[in-house]
Amino acid sequence: MRIADITHTASKSLTGNRNRSLLTMLGVIIGVASVVLMTSVGASIESLILGQISSIGAKSVVVFPGQVEGAQGVVQAGYDSLTFDDVDAIKNLSTVTNVAPGIMLPVDYATYGREKTEPRVIGTVPDYFKNREVTVAQGRLLDESDITAVRNVVLLGSEIADNLFGAQNPIGERVKLGTRSYQVIGVLESVGTQFFQNADEMVFIPLSTARAQSSQKYANMITMQTSVDFGFAQKDIETLLRKRHGINNPLGDPDKDDFIVRTAAQANDILGSVSLGLTLFITTIAGISLVVGGIGIMNIMLVSVTERTREIGLRKALGARRKDIMLQFLAEAVALTMLAGIIGVVCGFGLSVFIASVVSKFLDTYQFALSLPAMFLALGMALAVGLGFGMYPARKAALLPPISALRYE
Amino acid sequence: MKQSLFLRSSMKKTKAKKAAPLIQTIDLSKSYFNEELETSVLYDINLTIEEGEFVSIMGPSGSGKSTLMHILGFLDQPTNGKYLFRGEETRSMTDDELAAIRATRVSFVFQAFNLLPRTTVLENVILPLLYHPSIPTKERTERAMHAIESVGLQDRAYFHTNQLSGGQQQRVAIARSLVTEPDVIFADEPTGNLDSASGTQVMEVLQGLHRQGGRTIILVTHEEDMAAHARRIIHLLDGRVSSDTTKFKQVYATPHNKLKK
Repeated sequence: MRIADITHTASKSLTGNRNRSLLTMLGVIIGVASVVLMTSVGASIESLILGQISSIGAKSVVVFPGQVEGAQGVVQAGYDSLTFDDVDAIKNLSTVTNVAPGIMLPVDYATYGREKTEPRVIGTVPDYFKNREVTVAQGRLLDESDITAVRNVVLLGSEIADNLFGAQNPIGERVKLGTRSYQVIGVLESVGTQFFQNADEMVFIPLSTARAQSSQKYANMITMQTSVDFGFAQKDIETLLRKRHGINNPLGDPDKDDFIVRTAAQANDILGSVSLGLTLFITTIAGISLVVGGIGIMNIMLVSVTERTREIGLRKALGARRKDIMLQFLAEAVALTMLAGIIGVVCGFGLSVFIASVVSKFLDTYQFALSLPAMFLALGMALAVGLGFGMYPARKAALLPPISALRYE
Repeated sequence: MKQSLFLRSSMKKTKAKKAAPLIQTIDLSKSYFNEELETSVLYDINLTIEEGEFVSIMGPSGSGKSTLMHILGFLDQPTNGKYLFRGEETRSMTDDELAAIRATRVSFVFQAFNLLPRTTVLENVILPLLYHPSIPTKERTERAMHAIESVGLQDRAYFHTNQLSGGQQQRVAIARSLVTEPDVIFADEPTGNLDSASGTQVMEVLQGLHRQGGRTIILVTHEEDMAAHARRIIHLLDGRVSSDTTKFKQVYATPHNKLKK
């Protein structure tokens, strides 16, 4: 049989039984649509996270206390290793500018009247906001005078402000952090996740105020910017801190250090690999639904082979070889799945656009994104499903003996 | 030697110098095996059918006439004995070789017509040519139209087969059996599903193919008056040939016969 004849025969048989063809395709349509939808949502979420983090810029460097296990392993919390003398020493390095330490205060609740929320309280200096490229939506940032005067003032992250004040103007109001009372001087623009933490859930008080109220002698982070290549700055900082901490680590083994130097770019890489894992996970689940769809195709093809036993017998009596019958049924299965694949891609695309338009009403930064490779992957999987699950019924049809096929009632 | 089976023209030449008979069986037998149980259907069939003959194979149901036709038509294979087609042994042929013979050498007209539903007359008649990939599309249609004309259905070529009467459907099946220009046409109870008027019409067409077209036709039937249309009648009983007679008087299917009913 010629290719043109095979496709003609397949299309005729499929259109002859339109309802059944549609029902058969449904499984694959749903499978392909969910692959496209899931990967699109995954890509949107990824760009949501990465889009915000990348706004920090690659020049931003942070030194954390702690230790690395393996290449990009676990940061061990609870390290008290970075003193404020270390901070002053780093300030003297020529490769970095805007050195701004921060400490975290163990405060459970922020309250305003009856409203209550759980913030992360950070004591820091004005340069911190430059390093993180954060600006105020209302009021003002912390300034040098807040530090020198040790004022009880607070700058709220957008979510905290929203939780405590709603539509009310918070500027000038007093908020309690734990038992102490602070005056609100400003609210930050929403920024999302930076260095693995949601900056919108943070509140900021002057570093001097924070140090006066807690016995904490160590910094929880030191933010800064580097004007030169990150590698040089990192080396400078590492050499300095190892000398000051008495660590003998000429080979630069991160397991021996009691601090970690990171850039925003590195943080992006880690988040990127997390999001890749997420995408793979989602795609696997969607892929399973494709396989289920494929089993549906096989099922119906088997029914079709039984139903058309007489036709197969006739074709064999007319001179069809096993190969001809096999190709005919395989062509039907592949045509079904490819058509289903295309419909599925269109449906998945439409659904992703719809979901993006709904979600972006609640989350302005959510944007429609589409993974082109995933679309081709889904189509390729549909084709593989058609070939794989069409093979058995097609073989069964091809091996029918011609007379028993003709006699079949 | 095998090659010659697929080349019609070379066949025609060998026929001129005292060729082997078209069909020859030597001690051919057929048994079916169900679990351990052996059921014999045909015993020691020795038959010779020459090119251009019109033969009826007759017998009550269970006599093995359909099984014999299936073996002679390459739809089934004998258990023992030899089946020579134009002098060539066919037992050791592979599945694809048998398919090639079915495509080129033999064709069938079935009791139940076996036409494709929801398909036009023309497409049904073209169907066997799909398994002859070397024939160009245009020639396919020409040959199919020619075959349809020869059974008198040219004005129905674009009708769907289910729009036709039973007799017309069987004539479509005959056109389909002609389109590949086979060496022999097997007709298995071709009138079994038809009223006698349509049945006579179908026999008329078959006889015409034999008398005017010189075709070899093997008719399988259990009806005496249908078998009588052939010149030679082979009776089967319990899997054996019980009689093989060639008559001088042959019944002709004519419009007059048709009116009698």
